[in-house]
This record gives sequence, C-alpha cells and structure tokens, in this order.
Amino acid sequence: MNVKRRTFLKGAAVTGALIGLGSTQTEFPFQGLMKAQGSGESKKAVFQNACPRNCYDTCSMLTTVEDGVIQFVEGNPQNTYTNGTVCVKGNVYPRTVYSPDRIKYPMRQKGRGTGNWERISWDEAYTEIAENILKIKKEYGSTLPICLNKYSGNFEIMHYGIEGTMSSLGYTSRATGTPCWPAGIDAQTFDFGTIVNSDPEQMAKSKYIILWGVNPAWTGVHSMNFIEQAKANGAKVVVIDPILTNTAGKAHEFIQIKSSTDGALALGMAKYILDNELYDGQWLANNSIGYKEFFGYVKNNITLEWAAEKTGVRVEVIETLAREYATTKPANIWIGYGMQRHTNGGQNVRAIDALAAITGNVGLEGGGANYAQLDSWGFNYHAMVHPAPEGSEGEADRAVNMNNFAADVLAAQDPPIKMLWIAGRNPVQQDPETTLIKKAFREMDFVVTVDLYMNKTVELSDIVLPATTPFETPGVNVSYWHYWMTLNERAIKPLHETKSDVEIAMGLSAKMNELESGSCTYPTSGDLEEWVGKEFNDTILEQFGLEKWEDLKNGPAKMKNKEVAWKDGDFRTPSKKYELYSEEAEKFGHHPLPVYVEEMKSTEEFPYRCITPHWKLSIHSQFQDLDWMEAISDKPFVEMHPDLAKRNNINEGDLVKVYNEIGYVTVQAKLTKTVQVEEVVMYETWYKNLNYNVNYTVKAIPADMGKKATGMPGIAFHDNFVNIEKV
Amino acid sequence: MGTKMGFMVDSNRCIGCHSCSMACKNYNQLNPDIVWRTVYDIKEDAYGQPTRITMSLACNHCEEPACKEACPTNAYEKRADGIVIHHEERCIGCEMCVYACPYNVPQFDKEKKKVGKCHLCYERLDEGLSPACVSSCPTQAIYQIDVSTIGDGFENSLPGFPDPKITKPSVRFIKPSIVKKL
Repeated sequence: MNVKRRTFLKGAAVTGALIGLGSTQTEFPFQGLMKAQGSGESKKAVFQNACPRNCYDTCSMLTTVEDGVIQFVEGNPQNTYTNGTVCVKGNVYPRTVYSPDRIKYPMRQKGRGTGNWERISWDEAYTEIAENILKIKKEYGSTLPICLNKYSGNFEIMHYGIEGTMSSLGYTSRATGTPCWPAGIDAQTFDFGTIVNSDPEQMAKSKYIILWGVNPAWTGVHSMNFIEQAKANGAKVVVIDPILTNTAGKAHEFIQIKSSTDGALALGMAKYILDNELYDGQWLANNSIGYKEFFGYVKNNITLEWAAEKTGVRVEVIETLAREYATTKPANIWIGYGMQRHTNGGQNVRAIDALAAITGNVGLEGGGANYAQLDSWGFNYHAMVHPAPEGSEGEADRAVNMNNFAADVLAAQDPPIKMLWIAGRNPVQQDPETTLIKKAFREMDFVVTVDLYMNKTVELSDIVLPATTPFETPGVNVSYWHYWMTLNERAIKPLHETKSDVEIAMGLSAKMNELESGSCTYPTSGDLEEWVGKEFNDTILEQFGLEKWEDLKNGPAKMKNKEVAWKDGDFRTPSKKYELYSEEAEKFGHHPLPVYVEEMKSTEEFPYRCITPHWKLSIHSQFQDLDWMEAISDKPFVEMHPDLAKRNNINEGDLVKVYNEIGYVTVQAKLTKTVQVEEVVMYETWYKNLNYNVNYTVKAIPADMGKKATGMPGIAFHDNFVNIEKV
Repeated sequence: MGTKMGFMVDSNRCIGCHSCSMACKNYNQLNPDIVWRTVYDIKEDAYGQPTRITMSLACNHCEEPACKEACPTNAYEKRADGIVIHHEERCIGCEMCVYACPYNVPQFDKEKKKVGKCHLCYERLDEGLSPACVSSCPTQAIYQIDVSTIGDGFENSLPGFPDPKITKPSVRFIKPSIVKKL
C-alpha cells in the first residue's frame, strides 16, 4: 500500500529565516470561504529547538513564531530519527509556555505549605538566598549544610549550570545517583565496559526484534517508525512485558512474564541455545571471556521447567523464542528501563546481554542488546565547572543518595542539612516515600525551588524562582538513545520575569559578592549564546562532523560511526573483551556471572504487585498538569484484571484504595485483561488538581546495581506490594 | 464522481500516542478544553484476544453531514472537494449540530459560545501541506485521502464506530492486526 509521504515546510532548513507564506489558494466556487489565516502579507520566523525532557527521543523541533509569539511547534525533518514529528508532549509546548499556571516572578511563602505567597523582586530573592547561605557558612564553617537536588527535569547541557551554581559557592551536599536506569547501566558496564547502543534508526534492518520491558508506543514514539519499517521488511517483533502495552499491541507475539523474572527467561533461552548448539562459538572465543564458566553455570543450574515455573511462560514458548532468536540474524533486543527497576534488575539485564553475546548478535548491524548510550555527550560542561571560592572549608562535595533522599537528608550529621536547592526536579511528587519526603522538607531551615509551575515541591518551599522554558533561552542537546545533536535557539523573549538557571547563578553570584566579596566564583554576566559555544571542543566537533559549532544553526548534526555498537569488538572492560565473567561485578558485591537472583515476592498481607510505569501523556510530573493535556485525560486509574476485581467485589469505575504499610492512594478502577491477575498498574504522573501520587505506596528499596557507574544503586520502583479494597 | 476529501485511519500503524490530537490543538490554538481529534481505545476484546488497539478520529467530512442538516443558520458548508466547513461567524451556538452528529465531532466552546470542528486544515492543504494531525503522526497512521478514488480494500468501519450508513462518512480504515499472546 502506498502511504502518501508528507510534505514539509519549504526551506525548513533555513532556521530563523523569514518565510513569506505565499497564498496559492485554490478558489472554490463557493461563497463565504474563509481566507486561510495568516496567508498573504504575514511574515513568520522559524527557530530550532531541542526538547530537553527525560526521554529517548530528544526531538529536533521547529518553532514558528509570529510577532514574538509561538504559533506552532513541530518536528524537524532534518533529523531522520525525529522524522518531522513530535509526540503528544512536544505538541503541547505552546501551552507549556503560555499556560496561565506559569510562575511569573520570584515569590516568598510565609509558612511552608500554607499557600501564603507574596511576590518579591529578583533583588529581594537573591538577597534572602545569599543571606541564608552566608548565615549557614558562618554557623557551620562550610557550605555542606546546603544540599542540591537536581536531575532530569531538563537535560539540556547549559542546565548543568545548576551544579555549577553550587560548586561556585563551596563544597555542598549533592543528591547523587539516578532513579531511573542505573541497574541496567551497571549491568552493561560489567558486560561491555559501558553503555553504547546501535543507532536506533538501524532497527529497520533487523530481522527479529525483541522489545523487552519497554513501551516505546508511549515513551519513544519515533522508534516505533523503525520497528514498523523492520516489520515491512519481514522482521518478526516479539514483546516481553508483564503488561500487554500499546507497544505489545503492535507486535506479532506477546509474552506476558511475571514481573522481575526476566533473567530466568533469558537463562532458560540460554539453556536451550546451549543444548542445541545454536551459539556462536567463534565469536565467543574471539571476543569474550568467561563463556565456558557461563555455559557451565547454565548447564548445571538451569532447566526449562524451572524457567517456565519462574516466569509463567510455557516451556515450548521459551524453546521457540530461543530457537527463533538464535537462528534469525540479525536479531535485536531493546532492553527497557522498566524491567530493571527491581532488586534483581541489573542481574536480569546481564542475562539478556548474555543472549546477544552467545548468539553473535553483538556488533552485528541490526542486532545488539540495546539499552542506552552516553557517547554523544562529550561537551565541556563549561556552565558546570567552577572552582570553590578561595579558602572554602572542606575538600569535596558530600554525596546524599538521591534514591533514598528523605532518609539521607534527615540522617545527615556533621554538619546536618539545613537548606535545599531544587531545580529540574520535583521530589515531593516523584520520589518514593512521599510522607517521609514531606517530613524532610519541613525539617529544613530554608528551601529554594526553581520551576515553571506551582507543583508539590514548590508548595513546600520558602522561595520559588521562575524558570524559562526551552523556547526562551539558548542551549544545545543530545539524546541517550539516538545520535543527533540539536541546537536550541531562543525563539521568544523570556515571558514575565523568568530566568534560565545560568542567569540565576549569575545573579546570585553578583549578590553573594556584593554581601561578601569573594564568596562565589560564578561569573556575574555573560552572553548565553556565547556560553553555548563554550560547551564545544575539537573532539565533539569532529565526532559530529562539524567545522564549528555555529554550523548547527543550519540544522541538527549526527554523530559519526555509531550505526553498530561494538562492531570493532572494542569493549571497554578491564579485559577489553565482552565479559560474561566479570571480576568488576564481583568487586561490587555481585556474582561474576549473569546468574539468576531471586525476585522479590508478595506477602500474605500485601499480595499484589503494584507496577507504576510511565504515563503516555507525561514525563514524570511534567505535562499532565496542563489544561490542554487534561482535555485528553483528567482522571488517573488503577488497572486490574477482572478476576482480581471480582475477588474484591470491585466493578469498573469503583473507587479503590491501594495501600500498604507506608501509605495509600485512592483511585478509580479500570478493568482490563491486559494486566496479570496478581498485579495492579498505576501510572506515575501529576494531575494539577488531584492529590494523586503513586509514591505514597512506593518504598525506597534499592535496585541491585547502579553504584559503579552512577554512584548509587537505582530504585526498585516495581517491587512494590500492596493490597486493595473497594472504598 | 467529484472529489471527496477525508481521512484514512490506519489502526494497524496507530500506536495510541495522541500526537495527532495535540498537534491539532497546537496548530489551531484551540481553547484549553476543546479537542477536535480524539484517539479512542478500541474495546480490548473486539477481536477476541484482549489487546490495546486504538483509532484516531476527527471530522469525517460526511457525504450527508448531519451537522449541516441540523444547522438552522446555514453555518455549515460542504465544499466541492468534500471538506465540511463550519463558518463561525454564522454560528449562534444553538448546539443542534452537536446533538445531530453521530460521531460527537462538533465541540461547543463555552468561552466563545460557538461550535467548532476539524476543517481538514484546508488552508494547509492549499499550501501543499498536510493537516497538522497528519504531519505530526510519528507512524503515518492517518493521512488525508480522496475517498472517491481510494478504491476498495479498506474498511468502512471499526468496532465502536457508528454505523456509516447514517451520514456516509468520508473515512476509511485499515484494521489493526491482533497480537498473538503466547
């Protein structure tokens, strides 16, 4: 069937150029035809923007601006991954900018959580913050009582100026780690030496695709296009997931697995591959260490019957999957972040990596065990790197576990933590153990939050500073999945009194030095676009085939030679080989082999696993709060199987209390046979007018891995066990 | 046979991401609570095996538009190319069309006190562009078609879609394939 190709803005490549929209209107013989708006004499400018959200797709966008106002945000067709489209979140951006909910000027709250806010000037805000910092320094002799919590609200490179703000004040406490993906990063670091995935556009060349615990239909929509291309080229697509997701709905086959048992399925497959000699002995001999030990473990410890019982997947299904995967080349596994949010998540990723290695799919075009990459991030981090002031007390920053933030903040001693600076983050909505997080906030002397909207974290702050959107401040961005780099141009003047995080750092530095000379090293002025240029070095320019960074003004650039991860066998492990047997893993307290580690199980008191995945209309607490998004969905729900609902006398639409020992959520039931009987599903997000927060029930249980690569283990978000009752 | 512009809805490619729905709001700058294109979940067991499948619907630019029939002020016009236009300046906000349309297409804007609906972005078509929803679909699951020349081999309806006999909608569908649960 012939799908009509889209046509695009002519001259879209020329950003910032004036496009006169010619009127080539066909006159229909009808009266009263409205003239196309904006045709004729209007002049429009188009700017490049780079979506900075925590998402695979990191879209290259084109923003049409008329008379200084954003009219339309769309995908940039020059980026062949984004392919001229943006997702539902990208399409809501005009509202992100012009929402009446934007925080417009600095404000002070009289009494944390009272809602008693008053407008203050930037000078008043800087003064109050600077005085508090100096007071802390005086009382404790250092800036260690100040703790920064910044992460994934904005990944654009200039936003590392937030960390720079703290460095320029002295040695501070830092929320360290990453909640989302560290177990998998460590797993791949033990196996390959680091994380590198093949260019996702290469998925189109795959003949067999396993989407393992990943839901790109909601969380990486542009990859679905390449999966569709692969299907058109005859590839088979299999989804493995506890939930029959919208992604699974697009697959040929779906395997519904008991949560957290993915490693058992992978090892069962490995057993079949070993027994039937479907492995690539030559590749293993040339490129790996420890494969004999791994095969020994599989032979002596794994049976298909065990794997079937563990996973809930029938023996013959495991056999067929293993045979097809091992004999169809190239075969691609996309390992999702969802499946590693478990106490054995890292171990499970290692077992899946092993499948790709033993079948010779590593380094193969259209193959691989693809998780993520950070190779395209080789910037200078100029905005971040600032020395501590002369004579600062201490030697280094103090790490506070981001993934156990509340408990760590409350437990900090010598010195205690007294002040929080929050930017690009919303811990009160998104961290586990909401009740404890609120307690930690209340115990502080002073809390500053930089944000766009009045969210749950801002509500518990003393001062809020209004942040700019990506459309109001220059920058540059790359992805952790594809290999494109996009310049982010200032499409419009910052609205109201909003400032970018770097501007805030400059303003604070000026005030600090005014009150106490030499107390802050952050520059007090600078041209932000020039600062973007300072992020580049010769290496990164060469990697992206750029003569000079300004070439990005002509459109996004793509990193070279990333089509196939590990195609040269250039592993970055200590042995320079693929390590099925990893001494490094052993050093971090894990088994050196990808063995199976028992999953967490439900208890009599809390018999149901509660999975809290990403929601299609938001990224964590961003986007779903906007009224444009509410027009599509304004009610959260808990998904449960009709059999489980019946057991608890629950009907469609009933209010259900989902609870465990640390808290509860009251939410409407949505019955669906796409989830398993013993599991319920609530999507993590923030509805502006609702006290809906899945994290009231989520405990800060560490995942098994993450410490090596990210400093802290991840969070086992999906090892959350609850009970339910009809309200 | 004159042209009959409308939409192809390829539920085999639709991933249920809602980009189309929001692209329409983004481009047309609709009031906050107004949605001209909706992504519907098809009943999960409509094809037997429970699954998650979707269809994206906007105005179907019907051959016999019920909205136009019902409108007392002649605010609706069926163009020669088949596109059904709603002329806001003639609309008195009586909502007769809202009740008449079997697809729940015309939306009453409480602020404007008038109705509005999808007009197939005819001004974009005139410039050689696709409608905003179409150009923003990441999997090319919707596109504008001329149903008079599209030929056979497409569905006239999907589960949950009202009977096409009522208004002869200018919309064609491609059925979703259903995942095999192992």
